[in-house]
Amino acid sequence: MTKRFFGALALDAASFELMPGEIHALIGENGAGKSTFIKILAGVYQADGGEIVLDGEIVDPALQALPLAFVHQDLALVDDLSVGENIALVAGYPRRGGLIDWAAVMRQAERLYSVMDIEPPDPERLVVTLSLPEKAILGIVRSLAGKPRALVLDEPTAALPEADAQRLFDAIRRLRETGTSIIYVSHRLNELFGLADRVTVFRDGRRVHTTAIVDTRPERLIEQMLGRSVASVEIARAATSRQAPVLTVEGLFVDGRGPLSFDASPGEVLGLVGLRGGGQEAAGRAIFGALAAEAGRVVLNGRELSRFDGVGERIKAGIVLLAGDRMRESTFPGMTLAENLYPNPLLVSRGPWDLRTPASERALVEQRLEQFDVRPRDPASLIDWLSGGNQQKVCIARWLEARAQVVILEEPTAGVDIGAKLSIHQMLRKAAGMGAAVIVVSSDLEEVAAVCDRALVIDRGRVASEIAGQGLTIDALIAGSSLGERRATSGAAARDSAHNMDSV
Amino acid sequence: MNSTSGNGIDPSGPTRNTTARKPPPTAARRLAELFANYGLIFVFVVVLIVFSALRPATFLSSGNIGNLLTSQSVTALLAFAVMLPLSTGRFDLSVGYHVGMAQVLVIGLQVNAGLSWPVAAALVILIGLAIGLVNGILVTRFKIDSFIATMGMGSLLYGVSNWYTGGQQIAGFDLPDGFSNLSQVIGYVPLPAVYVAAVAIILWIVLERLPVGRSLYVIGSNARAAELSGLRTGRYVSGAFAASGILCAIAGVLLASILRSGTPSVGAEYLLPAFAGSLLGATSIRPGRVNVGGTVLAILILAFSFSGVQQLGAPFYVEYFFNGGILIVAVALSVYAAIRRRKAAVKAAS
Repeated sequence: MTKRFFGALALDAASFELMPGEIHALIGENGAGKSTFIKILAGVYQADGGEIVLDGEIVDPALQALPLAFVHQDLALVDDLSVGENIALVAGYPRRGGLIDWAAVMRQAERLYSVMDIEPPDPERLVVTLSLPEKAILGIVRSLAGKPRALVLDEPTAALPEADAQRLFDAIRRLRETGTSIIYVSHRLNELFGLADRVTVFRDGRRVHTTAIVDTRPERLIEQMLGRSVASVEIARAATSRQAPVLTVEGLFVDGRGPLSFDASPGEVLGLVGLRGGGQEAAGRAIFGALAAEAGRVVLNGRELSRFDGVGERIKAGIVLLAGDRMRESTFPGMTLAENLYPNPLLVSRGPWDLRTPASERALVEQRLEQFDVRPRDPASLIDWLSGGNQQKVCIARWLEARAQVVILEEPTAGVDIGAKLSIHQMLRKAAGMGAAVIVVSSDLEEVAAVCDRALVIDRGRVASEIAGQGLTIDALIAGSSLGERRATSGAAARDSAHNMDSV
Repeated sequence: MNSTSGNGIDPSGPTRNTTARKPPPTAARRLAELFANYGLIFVFVVVLIVFSALRPATFLSSGNIGNLLTSQSVTALLAFAVMLPLSTGRFDLSVGYHVGMAQVLVIGLQVNAGLSWPVAAALVILIGLAIGLVNGILVTRFKIDSFIATMGMGSLLYGVSNWYTGGQQIAGFDLPDGFSNLSQVIGYVPLPAVYVAAVAIILWIVLERLPVGRSLYVIGSNARAAELSGLRTGRYVSGAFAASGILCAIAGVLLASILRSGTPSVGAEYLLPAFAGSLLGATSIRPGRVNVGGTVLAILILAFSFSGVQQLGAPFYVEYFFNGGILIVAVALSVYAAIRRRKAAVKAAS
């Protein structure tokens, strides 16, 4: 099967077979072609070459839907509707005389749960009252409505705590007993062992390997995902001695995940990485005051910050955050570059009624646009007219300008071109060089390996491993985030050695 | 849109291609830009020329101008009242019934309660502030969509007006001179126009020159991002509604002074022209956002062109076609202008 995007091969003659009644894991790095493959199956994209054979017949998903059901990570459940109605949204509303037969809606829910031999929750319950694993199971149950022969599960455990994941696995195994096949996409290699029957590794749009799960090991799979043995590439990195931390986080619980403890020093660029839903983003926001932490302390320069601080107080204290979703949370559409640089005028003026002169601001803004290499340099230009990379530079300049002690950036180079990306990396290094502690929350491991001095792999709200200095490579990061708990012990060791280094 | 070759790698180092990428604007483009920013001024001048040519004797007479400025002062104040919440992206639909209630109340407090006019006016303005604050709290604390909250509030206020008056007009036979003189004409200048000018100047300074104004517009552009920039968006939005309430009350006092009576059915008809003025104003001076200068111009255009059409013998109901049509055309124009400007900018950058 082949898929081209604008001349770039996303999927290059990749092949995949699914047997009846098997759980088949599909793994690979970001960009390996997993999601392209799945979207072709779903009929979202059309393959440029190759064929799909179902029971010996060639089929085209663009013309005729395959007997497949897809369960995405975010489940797409409607929280404020009942379990029964959430199922009916997909399965259809049973009717009697043209009107919805609510009793039948609820019976339909119970029937679908019974297919998987699972005790159904009360179908009248609102989805918002379900636990995370119950929601994940509901997502699967309602996809069974169309009697699919195979199910595609996309990272079903990303947001699930370890113990809860077991309940989901039990449900998936029961589903296999019914003869339904499952394509299981995951980044968590450890959970595949004991669940999946076979595993296929994609890399650069090709199938690298398919094997029975009992015949392989996690380390072997990582090598196949990377295409080389682990830690074969080392980036030369000057081992710098860390200064005393400016920020200390202790026992932080956010969204029920944690505890998270770490510190950050002036002059360092610290990466927070992890799988989707690992809790690294929530932790950053809690430190910034945009999310309430359930427990834990945030200490800045030896002073504990109040748990009730909002964003405004944290910015004043010296912690700033660049939000990852540029369009929704960072830029101000329809407004000028000057206004986008200084959206909160209180940060640069003496108060809300302090008369400002546009001329002096204009000069200041022009200087900043020059310094951060934003094009065009016109302060009166609207942000909407800039390319993504230049918009991002304006947003980054906004926060680096604030002279904060702790700068947290979510996905600082998402969706920007390579030139802007390198330019932004320079800005981050420079900000650290001027004494800020820069924290990069990124899913771009290449970026973390390139720009960070130290990286923490966050899993379920905790530090699963810490990688610093010479060892901070893409390989180490992938291994750390895929193996999760297994590396926790060596991570603790690394942290100990880091502390020893400090005390020397 | 942006080629990578144009991006300097080192943000601090010398950068290539520092010369402006924009070609020097041609005369035609400059004219187009001028028209985009100051289009309403052109339109106003055209309106004046056309109607004074058609009705040379009456259209630009000092009497007609004075009448227009006096009667439109209430609309202008309400357009400002609508503009402030609009700058944060919220609607205040209660302004029409609010001005009606303020007008009834300021007469009633004098006629029925025997209060002196400054006390009555001050009380009405305080009540206006309170109503605005309630609107703001409903929208920010209780997260009720501003459309719904202020529509409900408007109906409540209309209920209050009718309850207070029993649905009857309150005649203001012996109102004190001081109150009636609020709307007198001194020389050629009607005092209401002076109030409007004063409010306009204050609001212009607030919106264009004070950090408060920047914050309001920033919230209107992207409230979530504003919050993540450390702005307490709730306070600003509530403040905008409170100021809107005060302006409604002032407009009500002025209206009562002009009418010299309190009529509970008056008020609702001001809502649409107020929105038409504010939104039409957003097409000019600071295109793309509601602004003081544009709003003043829009009100003047609406008033003078409607007066001209009337003098040509149009029937009374044309006014409704006028206001409704302008509202729709104004919004369509601003959407179109935004698309045009974006295209021009993208073209200039590439």
